[in-house]
Amino acid sequence: MKRGSSLLLGVLFALGLAAADSASAADQKPPIRFGALTWESGAFTTELLRVIVERGYGYATETLPGSTVSLEVALARNDLQVIAEEWAGRSPAWVKAEQAGQVFALGDTVKHAEEGWWVPAYVIEGDASRNLKALAPELRSVEDLKRYAAVFRDPESPDKGRFLNSPSGWTSETVNSQKLKAYGLDQLYTNFRTGSGAAMDAEIGSAIRRGQPVLFYYWNPTPLMGRYKLVRLQEPAFDAQAWATLTDPANPAPKGSSSLPAKLSVGVSKAFREQYPDVTQVFERVDLPIDTLNQALAQMSEKRTPPRDAALAFMRQHPHVWKAWLPEQVATKVEGGL
Amino acid sequence: MSNGFPQALQFSFADQVNRMVDWLVLHYGDHLRSVSDQLLQVLVGLENLLRLMPWWLLLAVVGALAWHACRSLLRSCVLVGLLAVIGMLGLWDKLLQTLALVLVSTGLCVLVGIPLGVVLAARPLARRLVMPVLDVMQTLPAFVYLIPVLMLFGLGKVPAVFATLIYALPPLVRLTELGLSQIDPSLLKAAQGLGATRAQRLRRIALPLALPSIMAGLNQSVMMALSMVVVASMIGARGLGEDVLAGIQTLNVGQGVEAGLAIVALAMVIDRISQAYGRGRR
Repeated sequence: MKRGSSLLLGVLFALGLAAADSASAADQKPPIRFGALTWESGAFTTELLRVIVERGYGYATETLPGSTVSLEVALARNDLQVIAEEWAGRSPAWVKAEQAGQVFALGDTVKHAEEGWWVPAYVIEGDASRNLKALAPELRSVEDLKRYAAVFRDPESPDKGRFLNSPSGWTSETVNSQKLKAYGLDQLYTNFRTGSGAAMDAEIGSAIRRGQPVLFYYWNPTPLMGRYKLVRLQEPAFDAQAWATLTDPANPAPKGSSSLPAKLSVGVSKAFREQYPDVTQVFERVDLPIDTLNQALAQMSEKRTPPRDAALAFMRQHPHVWKAWLPEQVATKVEGGL
Repeated sequence: MSNGFPQALQFSFADQVNRMVDWLVLHYGDHLRSVSDQLLQVLVGLENLLRLMPWWLLLAVVGALAWHACRSLLRSCVLVGLLAVIGMLGLWDKLLQTLALVLVSTGLCVLVGIPLGVVLAARPLARRLVMPVLDVMQTLPAFVYLIPVLMLFGLGKVPAVFATLIYALPPLVRLTELGLSQIDPSLLKAAQGLGATRAQRLRRIALPLALPSIMAGLNQSVMMALSMVVVASMIGARGLGEDVLAGIQTLNVGQGVEAGLAIVALAMVIDRISQAYGRGRR
């Protein structure tokens, strides 16, 4: 799920930042720079935190675009101060910077974030209102997929089912390919790499709208999860040893296990942590309930609301969520601005 | 962002487009999927045919084609060598998939492009109407139309063929039209005077004379089809582009370079052979 990046982009980005740095050095208090995350939950959380920092503490903020890896590199150099949704520990760039003490992952922002294999609920239960039959009524776990390969027929090789894997290059693609082997499904299902996140979303969205069966890898928190009724297939409980066999693409006999529970944090640079202890404390307490978040994201993507408006609407609707993170007078200040 | 331009004059048709795509998916999605399944059969069939061929047979066929086209032993050997190197890099199967995709889309390009070029050369009004369309096809960023096409026709090879077709068709149409309109009109008049019908004039005089230009167009189409391979892999079409994409996304520069050079090698093989045919028949 980590968005990949190219080396070139990272270099260009770093150069651009270096130039921007010297230009703004004259200002006394430069604005706090947030990474402009492109996926929905990232964009949403970024805006939410910016509103709190701007209105509650009166610091100016701005965003800078870039791919995940280049943002992480920029954070380590303090060219960037905050990455609002960091899947800490997933990328080598992050792990290295964290070990060197250049970056910090604050808090546990979305508990129960997960990744796994999903099917739309109508595949299992049917949907009378849309005249859909339950095609796989006994589908509960990945084990059961063996019986239902014909339901998820792959048009390119009709004797097999199709499993929509993530695009090649994502870390999860390796894991899913190994899981197919571990669950004994590699002969029954095509391991279909979707090529890009956009293509994957389009295919899933199209299948659901047409009421067709579809089996896919996905993750939480995402608009898709709040928007449609989906069922996650059960997998064996998480086991560290089995997980190691899944992340290693060269392992010939992987063992099944749920994916490593995801931990989402707010990533900040060392300098930010020292300079803004008050905001750091708030970031450590950030806790977004996943169901509420999924629904907010679904609304945002369905109505195509800009992330900033979606964040403001969310804050108006669910004041108890964010007030719990803030000292009282700050919370009042933020609320006054809504 | 939009402060410079008066607010009252601004508008957006994004919502209408979104609604229309949703509506199309809902009402025609299933029909279009069955159409795309048919095209898929052709593609997969061709791919399997290529797979059935032993590797040395394919190399021999390419070698024979190269020899037939340019009558040069050295050149044929180099071209066969290039293909063999792709195989040695362990990319043979991906090469076949890419080749099948390129062959099918180029075939469709010829089926559509040459007749269209002929029509455009003969009818100035059609030419004026179609030229802007060709401009759009060449410049509209592929992902803008790919995502809706993908929602309608499904993920994988079929939208990849459509995307390639849209991108690679214009040069063939343009160069066919150019070749035909550059023929000396007195030649056609003379043929008419000798009693040749319109079809005879086209087949016996115009097309042979325009052949170098048409072959140049075909050559351009193939090159552009190959350059679309990476974009095609972004919508789930397998092949050499997939390795390039994976290489880039994981910072595995070496893998990307290997697959990228394999695409170049394939392009050179097709280019040299098709160009030689274009020159040889003049």
